This record gives sequence, structure tokens and C-alpha cells, in this order.
Amino acid sequence: MQAVDGVDIELQSGEIHALVGENGAGKSTLAAIAYGAVKADEGSVVAGGVVGLVHQHFKLIERLRVWENVLLNREPRRGWVIDVAAARERVNRLAATYGLAVDPDAVVETLPVGIKQRVELLRELDREPTVLLLDEPTAALAPSEIASFFTTIGALAARGTAILVVTHKLAEVIAYSQRVTVMRAGRVVARHVTSETSADAIAREMVGGEVPALAARGSTATAPLLEVRGLSARSATSTLEDATFEVRAGEIVGIAGIEGNGQTALADALAGVVPFTGELRFEGDALRPDDSPASRLRRGIRVIPQDRRHEALVLGWNVRDNVVLGRQRTLARSQYAEAAREVIERFDVRPPDPEATVGALSGGNQQKIVVGRTLAAHAKLVVAYQPTRGIDIGAAVLVQSRLIEARNAGVGVLLISFELDEIFACADRVLVIANGRFAGSFDRATIDRGRIGALMAGNV
Amino acid sequence: MSALLRGRAFRDVAVVIVVVFGFGSIAMLLAHVSPLDGFGALFDGAFGTRSELAETLVQTTSLLFPALGVAIAARAGLFNIGADGQLILGGFAAGWIGAQFPLPGYLAIPMVLLAGTFAGGAWGAIAGFLRARFGANEVIATLMLNYVAVLLATYLVNGPLQQGGAGASETAGLPKAAQLPDLIADSRLTWAFVIALVVAFVLRWVLQRTVFGYELRAAGDAPEAAKRAGIDLGRTAFVAMTLSGALAGLGGATIVSGVLHRFNTGLSPGYGFIAIAVALVGNLDPLWIVVASFAFGVLQSGGVAMQAEALVPRDVVTLVTGLAIIALAGRRVVASLRST
Repeated sequence: MQAVDGVDIELQSGEIHALVGENGAGKSTLAAIAYGAVKADEGSVVAGGVVGLVHQHFKLIERLRVWENVLLNREPRRGWVIDVAAARERVNRLAATYGLAVDPDAVVETLPVGIKQRVELLRELDREPTVLLLDEPTAALAPSEIASFFTTIGALAARGTAILVVTHKLAEVIAYSQRVTVMRAGRVVARHVTSETSADAIAREMVGGEVPALAARGSTATAPLLEVRGLSARSATSTLEDATFEVRAGEIVGIAGIEGNGQTALADALAGVVPFTGELRFEGDALRPDDSPASRLRRGIRVIPQDRRHEALVLGWNVRDNVVLGRQRTLARSQYAEAAREVIERFDVRPPDPEATVGALSGGNQQKIVVGRTLAAHAKLVVAYQPTRGIDIGAAVLVQSRLIEARNAGVGVLLISFELDEIFACADRVLVIANGRFAGSFDRATIDRGRIGALMAGNV
Repeated sequence: MSALLRGRAFRDVAVVIVVVFGFGSIAMLLAHVSPLDGFGALFDGAFGTRSELAETLVQTTSLLFPALGVAIAARAGLFNIGADGQLILGGFAAGWIGAQFPLPGYLAIPMVLLAGTFAGGAWGAIAGFLRARFGANEVIATLMLNYVAVLLATYLVNGPLQQGGAGASETAGLPKAAQLPDLIADSRLTWAFVIALVVAFVLRWVLQRTVFGYELRAAGDAPEAAKRAGIDLGRTAFVAMTLSGALAGLGGATIVSGVLHRFNTGLSPGYGFIAIAVALVGNLDPLWIVVASFAFGVLQSGGVAMQAEALVPRDVVTLVTGLAIIALAGRRVVASLRST
């Protein structure tokens, strides 16, 4: 498959250059080619010196210490043994030079994500790169951390390093980059000096047309649907403590927070796949910690899981059989075809073929199937966990619009998202989650971006 | 896991044919036998006469039941290595009850077959229960239960439930009423063959057309998604293993009722293990498994003739069978590595 085609990008030393495009536009592939991890079929990458790459998903060895990760394969040696004192000293010196404070002896798995990213950055900086590629560097950072991250990067650029930031967050592009290159479907479609363009203009270039508008929201209903009191739960990598909130029928409650702060435990407890303590009431009835996922579905609670490929879909099956999943006990076999047609039409699934294998569809179309079947099941409460992760803008707006329409029709929606913009666009109320605890609550009218950002970072 | 075990039936059959004839020929050449003579003897032994064809179908039947059992477990994502033990216990229950309680024909045969089905099912259910309740690995459990099954049957038939002579390791003979009627006169081929075909078709229908089959396949293909769709993975594992054992047990009962007319601790030359290969070659699809059972039936019955007439050791059959499985498994492992 051809991910990028005839792309020219020129980085100048000392600049922060943003590379933007929708998922699947070829940004990450381009970065990987430049780094040398993927081979180009044609063309070449010319760099005056060392190229460094910081991945979107950290490639750190969790069980090892910071210095072991930073100096991996470049450890200072004394004969056959590693010179630990020299290694520690080198990491300290590096950290001081770039203002990236870390404890060289900390074990990586014990560190918060922001610090892990520093470690990842230090590892590349130790190689003294003349070109530094950053793939979605702010995905796991709180808003306040983002600003200080770009301060560091700016200082690095000022020393003469050329920096390429691959991102889909246009606000950051406008705020921090000097030049921007826009990609669509593997090709460069626009180049700008950042100060001469705008986020809206870039968005139109990414999409290749007007960005579709979100569905209008109707009036808010007030009947209580889900009441949560003192909820604590634990899933494999996520802990939630003492959460208290409620979701009313006909409203979207947004859970704002950085990945890994208890959202998974919350979604799993509501789905009935992990036990919980505390009190959960749905339409007045108590939900029990040992209820099966099936009993939640019967009550009308449906969760759109975060990981569609593993938690939601059977990739080897066709669209029709996947649309049925979760309703296999309620739909008759004769209704399968109609159920598939309904989701394909309402969600514009492409190709519109109920026999198509789901694993071969794009992420956006896979997600449309998951969201479509969830809403088609006449759920009373929909828990949407990162419902637009990794899908293009058109599909994302469609998914968000359908959630808003469901809300208008009286469905309660709990929207868990790591994208603040998504929450601000959709939610009637916003709850902030940090370190597994609820840290604040805002109505749509009183949303305070700065305050929410501070709470997400754990600053009370 | 079942995704790993399933490939494309048509290509897999091609691979098996190439491996069987290619490596089979090499092995024969190494044994200083012309492959033409060797394979000639094999096919002659499998199809040459009406009674030889009947014997091939007897082997087909004995492989088909446990292979269907292995397949239904695998479709639920479970590897049942214990079909041989389930088959042996099913055979024992059929033989003992059939000899112990003489009933008229229209009752005796169903009773014998049901006894085998229940015994095999109970044996499969143990592994299913351990998996569902404690998350115990079913591969280890079923593998170990094979030994327990053989020793248990040996103990029962020589000890507390002894019917034949002391130390004979077999039950008393079944009364005529409890013996499956012949399909071809003067052969060992009985109505068991027809029952096996019917079971295969029913199983395919259950897997493809019923909610139970849908949930079982979902549990096998995407357990995490299945769980969140309200499918009880523990219950599915228990039912699938029970059904798997029941099919193997029914197979044992048909061998006792149709072929041997009594239980003998040596009734299985490893049918339950060859069945794993049959199920894989048959792509875990009941209808392809019928075809695969026939192919392996040919190798089983033809191998004997090949040894006698062309002086090719029967082990060549075992060798090429093993190589065919390695080739299939290798292809799928490579495919799954590429897809991730």
C-alpha cells in the first residue's frame, strides 16, 4: 500500500515545522521514512547530521531506569561493565542543559506520562540530532504541560535544531510553529508560513472542502438516569476512586482528562466487565458489582469501548454479523440484513456492503459500525469512550452529530474523551478526572478552559 | 486463537496434497521404493475393492466424530487435545452399559450411543469447568485427562466393573440388539457413517445459523468484544468443551457398537490425536472436515496395504501427516505475524 506519494518537505535549521493531516494522510509514515525505520520506494531523505524521532506511543522499556533508557545501547563503559556513575552524570548534564528535570535512577514505569515523554526526548537529545521528528508529542500531555513542552522545543530550535512536529491539533500549530505543511491522502496539498494562515483554513485543506457542521442541540431534559455515588473500580491499568456524579436522560456529560487517569476503570465498571464498590443506580434500580455485561445491555446501558479493534469488533467477520453483535439475543435472524442496512445508511458506511469484512474497512468506517449498532439498539445510556479516536474529521463529526441527536431524543450520554475540543463541542456538562478522582464540574455555560486544563494536570 | 487455526480451505488442501505426495515420495525413495509403487499400493489398499473402500469409510467415521469435537472447541477458541481420552471413556461407557443391560434393539442402540455421548461429554466438561471457573488452561487439562481416562477405563474394566475374564482389559460382547446394523453387508461399515455425516451437517447449521453458534464463534474469534456484547465466556467454554467431549464420546460408542462389538482398552490407535490434524486440515468447518476425514481415512486404511504390498513402512503415513500439519500451522503463524 502506498502511504505517501511524491512528498517534498524542507526543514530549516532553527525552525519548528508542523506537519498536519487527517489520520491516514501519511504523516507518521513520512516521519518513519525520514528516521530510517521505513524504507522509501522512491526518493531520498537528505539530512545534515543525526535524525531523532520521538514516537506518539512511547518506546521506553518500562522496567528499566531512566538512565538505562536514555543511554540504551550507548552506555558509557569501563571494559566489560557499564560505568553507572558516568551514565548518571551524563543524564543529569543533559537534563540540566535542556531544562528537562528527571531523576536518572527512577524506574520508568513509576513515572507519570509527562515525565516519560521527557525521558523519550532526552534519549533522542543525547544523540545530538540536527533534525528532531516529534510524532503527536502532546497527545498525553495536560494543557499546562503542552505550553512548557513547546518552550523546551523552542529553546532547542533556537540552538539550531530543525524540528518537525507531526500533529492534528491545529491550535498548537498556530501557536507554536513557524511553518506548516498540510498533507492529504499521501500528498502535500499546501505549505504556509504559519503567521499567514489560520486554523480554519488549514482544517479545510486537510479535509479537502468545508468541515461539516455539528448537529444542533435541542433543549435539555432533566429526568435522572444514572446516579453514581462513591464509585471505586479497578481495571488492568486504570483505577477510579470515589466518583460521584449523575447523568440525566437527554444530556451529554463529558469526562475530561488525560489518558490513564481512571477513565478505563469507569467505562469498564459501567459495562459490567470489572467489579466496583460504591453505589450505582440506573433508573432508580441498584446495579450490582457482580452483574454480568449482559444484564447491563438488557437494562439499556451500552458502552462504545475505547479499543474498537479488540473490544468491539470481530475483525474477521462481515459488517452484518458485527452490526448484530450485542443484539444477537434480541434480533431474529431474519432481521439481521435490515439491521445492517440501517446502520450502513444512517452512518454512511463505505463500502455500503453488508458482506464486506470489517477488518478491511478504514478505522472511521469501523467506528461508524460500532457507534451505529450501539445507537440502533435503543440504548437509554450510551457510554462513549473516545468515540472518534483515530478517525478522520468527516467521520468524527458524523459520530458526534449522531450522539447529539441521540441526546436530543432523550438518551443519556457519558462522553469520555482525551480531546478537550470534542468535549467542549458536545457536552452539556463537563466533569474533570485526574489521578483517578473527579476534580471538578462545569456546566456548558460556565466552562472555563484554563481552569479545566489546570484540574486535568492535577493542580487543584 | 481460532483465527490462527483457520486459513483458506482450498489453499490448505493444495498445501496438504503437495506435502503428502512430495515428502511421501522422498521418504519412499529413501526406503528404496518407487513412489509409484508405494502410492499405488496405498490407493489400491484404500479403494481397490468394495470391502477395502468400506474399511476406508470405517476409518473416516472413526476420525470424523472426534475431529468434529476438536473443531467445535477450536471455534470457541479452545484447544481440546483430550479427544482420545473422551473417545475411550465414551467407548467404555457404551460397551459396559450395552453388555450389562440387554434391551430390545430399538432401545439398545440409542442407549449405547447416548451412554458414550454422556461419558465423553462429562470428561470434556471437566476441562470446561476448570477453564470457566478457575481459568485453567484447557490444553494442559485435556492433555493430562487423556492419561487419566485410559487408566480409569483400564481400572474399571479390570476391577469394579469387570465383565469379561480377569485381566482381559475388555468388556463382555455386546448383544446383537446393541450392535449398529451394517451399511454394506459383510463389512465393518455400519450406519455410524451416516450418523457421522448427519452430525457434521447439523453442527455446521448450528454454528452458522443459531444464536448459540454465533456466540460460540464470537467468543472464539474476539473474546474481549464477545464479553462486552453480553456473551458469557465461561459458560461458552464449558458448553463447548462438553459438546466437544460428547462428540468424541459418541465416536467411541460407534466404534464399540459398530466395529468391535465390545469395549477394549486398545480401541483407539490415537484417533483423538489424528482428529486434531483432521480438524485443522478441514479448516474447522464441519463440511470440509468430512472431506479431510476421508483423506485421512484413505491414509489410515491404505497405509496398511502399502506396508504389506510395497514394503513401505507404515510410519511414512505418520511422517507425511506430521509434515502436512507443520506446513499448515507454519503458514498460519506466518500469516498472523504479518497481519500484526
